[in-house]
Amino acid sequence: MGKRISIFISVLFVFLSVLITQSSVKGDSQYIGSEACKDCHGDYYKSFIKSIHNKRVIPGTPFNRDGCESCHGPGAQHAEKGGGRGVAILAFGRKVDAKAKSSMCLKCHEESKQMAFWDMSKHRSASISCDDCHTVHSMKEKNLKAMDPELCFGCHTTIKIRANKQSRHPIKEGKTRCHDCHDPHGSFGEKMVKADGVNDLCYKCHAEKRGPFMWQHPPVEENCLNCHTPHGSNHLKLLTSKPPLLCQSCHDESRHPGTIYTRSQTFQGSAPSNRMYARACLNCHSNIHGSVGPAFPRGKAQVR
Amino acid sequence: MKSKIMIFAVILCLSPFFDIFAEESEFKGEITLTGVFRDINGDEAKFKEYNDLRNGAYGRLRLNYDTEKYFMDFKADDIAYDTQNYRLGAGMWGKFRANIYYNEFPHNFTLGSRSFYQGIGGNYLTYPGAAPNLNVSTWDEFDYSIERKNYGGGLKLEMLKPFYFNVSASREEREGLYPIGVSLLSPGGPALEQLPMPIDYTTTNIKLEGGYAKKPFFFSLSYFYSQFQNDNNMLFFRNPSAAPGVTTPDIFTLPPDNHYFKLAFKGAMKLPMNSKFSTNLAFSRAKSEADLINYYINNAGAVTLLTLSDPKFRGKIDTQNYNFVLNSNPISFLDGKAFYKHYKTSNKSDEIITTDLTATPPTVVNELFDYKKDAVGAELGFRLPAKLYFNAFYHYIITKRDREDIPENRDNLYSVELRWNGLDFMVPKVGYERLHRRAKFEGSIDPNDIEFWVRRFDAAAKIKDTYKASLDISPLENLNFSVVYKHKKTDYENTILGLIDEKSDLINIDGDFAIGKFVKLFGYFGYERINSNQVQRQFTTAADPRTAPTATNFNWDAKQKEKEYDYGTGAEIYVIPKKLTLVLQHDYVRSNGFVDYTVFRALNPGETQDNIDIPNWDDYRLQSYMIKVVYNVVKGLSLTVGYAYERFKYNDAQYEGYLYTIGPFPTGSSAALTGAYSKPSYSTNLVFLGATYKF
Repeated sequence: MGKRISIFISVLFVFLSVLITQSSVKGDSQYIGSEACKDCHGDYYKSFIKSIHNKRVIPGTPFNRDGCESCHGPGAQHAEKGGGRGVAILAFGRKVDAKAKSSMCLKCHEESKQMAFWDMSKHRSASISCDDCHTVHSMKEKNLKAMDPELCFGCHTTIKIRANKQSRHPIKEGKTRCHDCHDPHGSFGEKMVKADGVNDLCYKCHAEKRGPFMWQHPPVEENCLNCHTPHGSNHLKLLTSKPPLLCQSCHDESRHPGTIYTRSQTFQGSAPSNRMYARACLNCHSNIHGSVGPAFPRGKAQVR
Repeated sequence: MKSKIMIFAVILCLSPFFDIFAEESEFKGEITLTGVFRDINGDEAKFKEYNDLRNGAYGRLRLNYDTEKYFMDFKADDIAYDTQNYRLGAGMWGKFRANIYYNEFPHNFTLGSRSFYQGIGGNYLTYPGAAPNLNVSTWDEFDYSIERKNYGGGLKLEMLKPFYFNVSASREEREGLYPIGVSLLSPGGPALEQLPMPIDYTTTNIKLEGGYAKKPFFFSLSYFYSQFQNDNNMLFFRNPSAAPGVTTPDIFTLPPDNHYFKLAFKGAMKLPMNSKFSTNLAFSRAKSEADLINYYINNAGAVTLLTLSDPKFRGKIDTQNYNFVLNSNPISFLDGKAFYKHYKTSNKSDEIITTDLTATPPTVVNELFDYKKDAVGAELGFRLPAKLYFNAFYHYIITKRDREDIPENRDNLYSVELRWNGLDFMVPKVGYERLHRRAKFEGSIDPNDIEFWVRRFDAAAKIKDTYKASLDISPLENLNFSVVYKHKKTDYENTILGLIDEKSDLINIDGDFAIGKFVKLFGYFGYERINSNQVQRQFTTAADPRTAPTATNFNWDAKQKEKEYDYGTGAEIYVIPKKLTLVLQHDYVRSNGFVDYTVFRALNPGETQDNIDIPNWDDYRLQSYMIKVVYNVVKGLSLTVGYAYERFKYNDAQYEGYLYTIGPFPTGSSAALTGAYSKPSYSTNLVFLGATYKF
């Protein structure tokens, strides 16, 4: 029995040795080095050597591995065949499968905080690959092909149009950027937002609305998006609709909440009403996000 | 000898940094100086909503230093303006990176507003004499505007890989004035006045995070602390409706100071069969504290005293969030995801008993609202033959909230999407999503109570269908074109009073085309139509919407219609390649809103179903033109000269014919307004001339 085991181990050892030797021979012959790439791809090579990927001091960079071939794969066959886009090489073109392209980047970048949740990303499931937004040859910040928000607007054209509306965040001015709220690499939040809930995200900049207030307005506490739309609105304050109709769609009671306010109650109407002109309901209910005012009806009705 | 030792010691201390200069390095930068000449007609606040464009010179600087080991990056924009921004980042590659920044920007609402009050900017507003002076021309001018100043820094340690550690701190100061309004006596009662609310907010944030990232594991532990401080917790104002002899000021409460912390653990682990398990466990707590007011100005203009069970309100809300996600790609043509999410807020704030012996009922206690959401779901992605990709998901969400009308929702959310990658130059995509929300109604069971009929849209039962289709075409390397169409329809199926249905259609077209190396053209077009329909009831005695209409008890509905279209076109013309470039751009946005009212009662004299409609409901037009020439004088030096025109025209029923005072203030349905948001239209001409030097 012991003899048989010895034979089995010996055979296995020989087999593995041959396999390892062959694979190393195969590997060595496939890789031709970055210098060889330089001859045909001078501009790309130049941008590569100036990039972070060419830093010797950072462990695991392409410089410390196989140079250009770390990302593009072994180039021997590509060179032998006389080159050509995508010929026996990973060219990161449109025709190449998104997962195959991303997996090349993830070989190194998966072990990072930024990419830890890429598997959950909506971008991944929509077959967006790293090279749709980044290129190691761009020489721009974070190797992005364009800066936020232009980069995001390239695909999210409906958001681009919303950001043109009269009520908006300062996106055009570069003071609010898409990645302030969203994590393009994936997050646990809905729509890849960088928070566990919508309100948690909004309170990061609008901390005064965090409360907790004595007199709360439940839909406000539950979800800012019940009344607001973040990317742009035709109505003031990024509201989804315009008061008084927005408020009345929930508050239908006797006296003023249920009263119809039409053109007649505007400044130019026959019976101007402070529930209609200017800010309508918000003229008086200014503490709509919550109040610590004195009891009913002032604090509770959010008028003090 | 002593000095030599000191020099030696200094050299010894600095020696670790000598190699910064010894190794091969690259120092580059860019400096831009732009002169702006501006002419504006109309409202400056809307034009300058988030910018500080005025006649003057604007500076921009970029500096970058990079060696094999070290790096430094400095950016400065709009130096010395209200939009100035500075960021300095530096570090050692692969070891650490640090940054500090300063950023500010304004949010202008209305400039040149007016009020009869004195003390604007502070927290006590008063006026001289027995009654406010209602001659608007004598009122003081002020600006509704908030300036945000944000500064901070951070450090990221990478040298201990696979461990990492990040720390950051920031502070944001907000200062300015924001418009609020108050009804002077009973809420909803007579006389409205607008007040400038002082904004003196400071928010301080600190974040610490440490983690480990090495296959097959990732985990991190983070702590976030945020403190919000408001220098004014109350706005005192002399109430013009106060009875003679009442000198006690009225009070409008401002956001209380609050503290917030969040502790979170995130982790991920690779599993066999190309799978990954990820989790996020977080706990946060928000606390606030406010001194309560023990009086109010009653309907007679006198002071009513209140008895409070505690003079201080202590707010406390705890939030727990758990996510568990399993992603799997066991076979090349299948992607799967299953998740569970639990989100719960627990409101542990004080319940304050307020006793007002003049009120009915005499005691009131604040209700504490909290809610929880549990969501479970699965997503599947299939690669089908012929390069078809099929994605589908199903989410089931239960929401439970402390609310009398609808304490529970159960949502079924389904989605399917089909994408075809069969052609290299074209990707068509179609998708459908349905949200079916069931709502447990526990409101009134009395049909004579209006609450029996009302369903609030945020929680009401509904079916929302969304249809999407898109097409991305790139027939040539230099031609890209995309079309998106989206149709949404929401039916609030059990709603009798409230929002009944919503419908929207959206189409976007976007493209760019480069003609050789001479011209790059780009353009977009968007059209969106949003319709909603709500049914309401105006009543004094009969809440039941089925009862026969009278002059004071009747139903009415409002159909809101918004139509908006945008387009933009532009070109970059390389007149002399790499030497002279001409840039042209034109953008246009137009929105028309309409409210179609119908009253279900006998019409009043002179009233028709049409003349009560509102034809101008946030109507606006924004158009801009820009022409710019960039001339590269020599390598590294370029000159830019350009002209821009922008026009914003706003027309809305609620602001048309704006009046500062209405009626015999402060009695009846009178008002004293300040001009907030009243006239945002403007047109502006802008000439700019700049030089950029790159080194």
